[in-house]
Amino acid sequence: MAEGDGLTMNNLLSEVQGALDKFKLEDEGTGGPGDYYSPYANLEKAAVLQEARCFHDPTAVRESPRKCCTVIAQLLHLTNTGQYMNSAEATEVFFGVTKLFMSDDASLRRMVYLFIKEVAETCDPDDVIIVTSSLTKDMTCDVDLYRANALRVLARIVDAAMLGAIERYVKQALVDSSGQVSSAALVSATHLFERNEESAAIVKRWISETTEATSSPNEMVQFHAMQLLYQIKKHDRLGMQKLVTQFSQRNTLRSPLALVLLVRYTTKLLTDEVAEGRQSGSFQNGTNFSRAGYAFLEASLRHKSEMVVYEAAKSICSLPGIEPQELSPAVNVLQIFLSSPKPAVRFAAIKTVSQVAVNHPRMVSKCNEDLEALIADANRSIATLAITTLLKTGSENSVDRLLKQISVFLSEIPDEYKVTIVKSIQRLCLTYPAKHRVLVGFLSNFLREEGGFDFKRSIVNSIVSLMKQVPETTEGSLLHLCEFIEDCEFTMLSTQILHLLGELGPSTSAPARYIRFIYNRVILENSAVRAAAVGALSKFAARCPSLRSSILTLLKRSLGDEDDETRDRASVAVSVLKDAMEEFPYLAPAEDADPDEEPVPDEPQAGDPAAFVLLQGLPMSFDRLERSIRAYVKAPAAMDSPEQLTLSTLPIVEEYEEPESAVDEGDDIGADPALAAAVSGKEKEKKEVIDPAAAVYAIPELAALGRVFRSSPPTALSEEEAEYVVTCVKHVLPEHIILQFPIQNTLEDQRLVNCTVTVEGDSECFEVAGEVAAESIKYGETVNAFTVISRIPDAPLSPCNFECVLNFGVVQVDPKSGEDESDPFEEEYPLEELEIATSDFMAKVSVPDFRSSWEMVGNANEVLEKFALQFKKQEDAVAAVIDFLGMQPCDGTGHIKPGEGGKKPHMLHLSGVFVGGTNVLARAQVAAQGDASGVLLKIAVRSDDPDVSRMVADCIR
Amino acid sequence: MASNALPPLLPKVDAILVLDGDGNRLAGKYYGDFMKTPSAAATEGADAADNAAAAQSVEQLRSSFERQLQSKIGGIAAKPDAAEVVTVLGKTAVFCGGSPAGQGGGGDVRVVHVGPAGESELVLAHLAEGMYEALSNLMGGTTDRAMVLDNLELVFLLIDEHCDGGIILETDGQKLAGSVLLRDEQEPTMGHGMEGQGGGMPGQAPPMQSSGGMGGLGMGMGGGDMTIGQALMQARNQIMANLNQT
Repeated sequence: MAEGDGLTMNNLLSEVQGALDKFKLEDEGTGGPGDYYSPYANLEKAAVLQEARCFHDPTAVRESPRKCCTVIAQLLHLTNTGQYMNSAEATEVFFGVTKLFMSDDASLRRMVYLFIKEVAETCDPDDVIIVTSSLTKDMTCDVDLYRANALRVLARIVDAAMLGAIERYVKQALVDSSGQVSSAALVSATHLFERNEESAAIVKRWISETTEATSSPNEMVQFHAMQLLYQIKKHDRLGMQKLVTQFSQRNTLRSPLALVLLVRYTTKLLTDEVAEGRQSGSFQNGTNFSRAGYAFLEASLRHKSEMVVYEAAKSICSLPGIEPQELSPAVNVLQIFLSSPKPAVRFAAIKTVSQVAVNHPRMVSKCNEDLEALIADANRSIATLAITTLLKTGSENSVDRLLKQISVFLSEIPDEYKVTIVKSIQRLCLTYPAKHRVLVGFLSNFLREEGGFDFKRSIVNSIVSLMKQVPETTEGSLLHLCEFIEDCEFTMLSTQILHLLGELGPSTSAPARYIRFIYNRVILENSAVRAAAVGALSKFAARCPSLRSSILTLLKRSLGDEDDETRDRASVAVSVLKDAMEEFPYLAPAEDADPDEEPVPDEPQAGDPAAFVLLQGLPMSFDRLERSIRAYVKAPAAMDSPEQLTLSTLPIVEEYEEPESAVDEGDDIGADPALAAAVSGKEKEKKEVIDPAAAVYAIPELAALGRVFRSSPPTALSEEEAEYVVTCVKHVLPEHIILQFPIQNTLEDQRLVNCTVTVEGDSECFEVAGEVAAESIKYGETVNAFTVISRIPDAPLSPCNFECVLNFGVVQVDPKSGEDESDPFEEEYPLEELEIATSDFMAKVSVPDFRSSWEMVGNANEVLEKFALQFKKQEDAVAAVIDFLGMQPCDGTGHIKPGEGGKKPHMLHLSGVFVGGTNVLARAQVAAQGDASGVLLKIAVRSDDPDVSRMVADCIR
Repeated sequence: MASNALPPLLPKVDAILVLDGDGNRLAGKYYGDFMKTPSAAATEGADAADNAAAAQSVEQLRSSFERQLQSKIGGIAAKPDAAEVVTVLGKTAVFCGGSPAGQGGGGDVRVVHVGPAGESELVLAHLAEGMYEALSNLMGGTTDRAMVLDNLELVFLLIDEHCDGGIILETDGQKLAGSVLLRDEQEPTMGHGMEGQGGGMPGQAPPMQSSGGMGGLGMGMGGGDMTIGQALMQARNQIMANLNQT
């Protein structure tokens, strides 16, 4: 028995061994990672394309459908890994694949469908069409899988005409008993609806089938039907409201996804109700639809699917103008979600909570405990959102505790998240300025930690902007920054900080203590930083006479620096300092000076050359200087004039209309810095500024009048769709106004000749001096005509309206050949009135420091006025005042800070240059007076010329 | 601000990716205009060189996106029924899977759904979990790189059954696996109850079944619907069992 057993055992063993060997061969495909070989590894495109030839061989297709499947999958894998087929290759393979319809093998057919969908985009649509008949056949067969797939493929390739031909089948499929077919039809219809107008028109006819599909027992069909129904009805507000109300009351939708859609549609409709002014205040007391909609959202908070509950909570939180008590059930739900075991739920909840915290921090503060628990969350995005939310909702006395928690956490997260947190801390410091010492200290601690450039830069930027907004932080922050540059690997940050030290350091209580930090940079750093440090040192010397002799000693050591820039800066500084010290020697206060006596301020005296050379900036920005010089060069007359080019004789250039850059909220922790950089880079791309006056300089007679002072933006004098479209650009010169009329001819069968615009006005200060006609305007062309108005020098400026008439000759033209068919006959075409207002003579130019300029001009020529304006909102009044005066708002006073509107009087600072070069400054206080009584405006205008001040103040109407 | 975006009224995913543990794309599909920007100008029927250049830059865009994605999801393992969320380039990316080899939990392959910022994370999680369930069902529970690569055509089919041009077709894992294996959907309402393995009809030989060679080993194969991977797993288990007996 034992022997027999052994034999069996041996037999078994060898058999197993054999089997194993055999298995190993079989197993090569899936074996261990070492000798692993996959049919998809190292695929060569050419080889696969060669393989694909077998599709043309009927026997191969019939005998080995498996192989064909693999080849198709390999082709798909190629596209998937970036080895795209070009058009010719794709077309060839495509024809091969069409042959595979011969096979009845189900899985092969499935791969064929998949492949056709993949290549439908790359192939010539005309080629793809040939499979339509095979697909149509499949679509009408009785295998659900074939029908569903054939439908989806067809939807990719049919055009509207063909769609009409198969419409019957699609309609049937929409309400098919098989969920798969029905879903496929609904989704295909949704795609077709988006494709083009013609297809959409056909899809719209399927509305009753779609409605029927919403009551399908299959959940996905419900979802797809809802989706399509919305697409069809989305522009029909009342229809949509009815639909939403029906579904929310009938409670027939079982699919959570379909309910999510319903919640979204409800929210969209509710938001529209508010946006279109039908709903305001509480939703529960609003219109019928608002009440029903809110009730549905609120009821959805109790649905059994988390997806629906979250969607409803998020929707309620996003409703504009929602009242706190309506918000509260949503926040309660979110609070529960915050401690969900599922990361996606926690993430979604914290994201919504942090958005609620922006407008309703109180509502969120009850979640604070849950939020604090999330700081330790394994998912760092969740943890970061939790911290930033806490920073928004936390109270002043929880700041310290919070910072302690953050500091533990901050060292283990990537830089990107740290940047978000730094921004939140900066905002917190603005909310609680009393905590600045702790918060700035916290930030500067992180300057010393490991971190990349973006992280460090965000800290430095935060500290610097806090210095501006919370001046108490200045001295402490400067010292923190000094310590940072002691060990800073980023040249850009070092130079930035050194420059800042030079600006702010000398005016602090003890400027001398910064010198050591700066001089260390001169000894230890690379050339760019050395140059910046020398620059900073010379600023200290210029501003503080008491430090001059010691700084001079330090600066002299840089005279032999190997870097040109550093050496040059040092030599300039040393030479002017020497002169200045000879001229105004520094007298140290006597040791035994009376302590009660006011100490002599450590400031340079008037006329100090060092202070002038080293401290005075350019009177305008480099950017403005550049544009100004460009404008100077453009005007031909100026180039020949013998007068010297000085800063004050440069043409005045107006400020750009900078597009408002979105306020960086810093909450979008996902927003990639690279992406943001790309966006801002695009903004920074300098638009090629076309001097509007170039057209004037191009005409010698007009150019002789001199340089254009400013040009207004174009105003339309006709309807946009009129036969002759005329606009007007006003170019203001010291003694003239050149009106430029671009005239567009929109009539195909006409050519306009000798066009002028006659301007008639009843004014004491203007008279028409001459016209330059546009000689010929063909169809579609725009040509300029000019009219010159001269100012009567003695008459005071006053606003004036001009009646404009377009005079021209019409030549009939054959639209085809473009040849003239008639002699010109005279025509007149009335245009709208043109207004010349005082603000046209004002160039929008900002001043670097409004306050000091205001003091400097003095109140000798000040004009004060009070007006009551008929504006409902303070914002509108501010915008109107800016518009009336045509001046540049300074110090960011052009907009009312959000949230402050209506509460306090708004102070507006305006500056500009009046024609002739008079600087004008204005301060306007705009105060709202309760609800309906309008807005009260107090305005003070200062300039060097009393007449100008008066004229400007009179601009208000 | 991206995160304030309202949820889309026609929900679409921007991409579905099947990535291995190192972030290499095993299979994936980008929908709509996502990661397509530079080629937007390339017109259809442009000459081959142009097409290739455009394709190249699209591919670069995609792989750079995937690198950024991997830098965030690498190291996070998400349970099959609890998807994790990250945000990449302003998009919300939700994924399942990614447990490193040898630690259980399926395998290192991740299923990632990328959606617009306004899309609900819970919806995306629902999708990712559904597809991951289908994937592990098809791969016989082992979602590692090798297994997925070997059964790539099933993965392609899965993505196609799951999502059509960005619109979600089906989310139920069992149903998805069923349609990939060409099992006709029998009773739509009963679909939930159907167990993946025994549900196939005996008469309809599943085409994905590997037949050559395996029969020679004389092993009893279970229900008709097995993928190659599953069959191999079973074969291996039987042999191991035999060896252990001796």
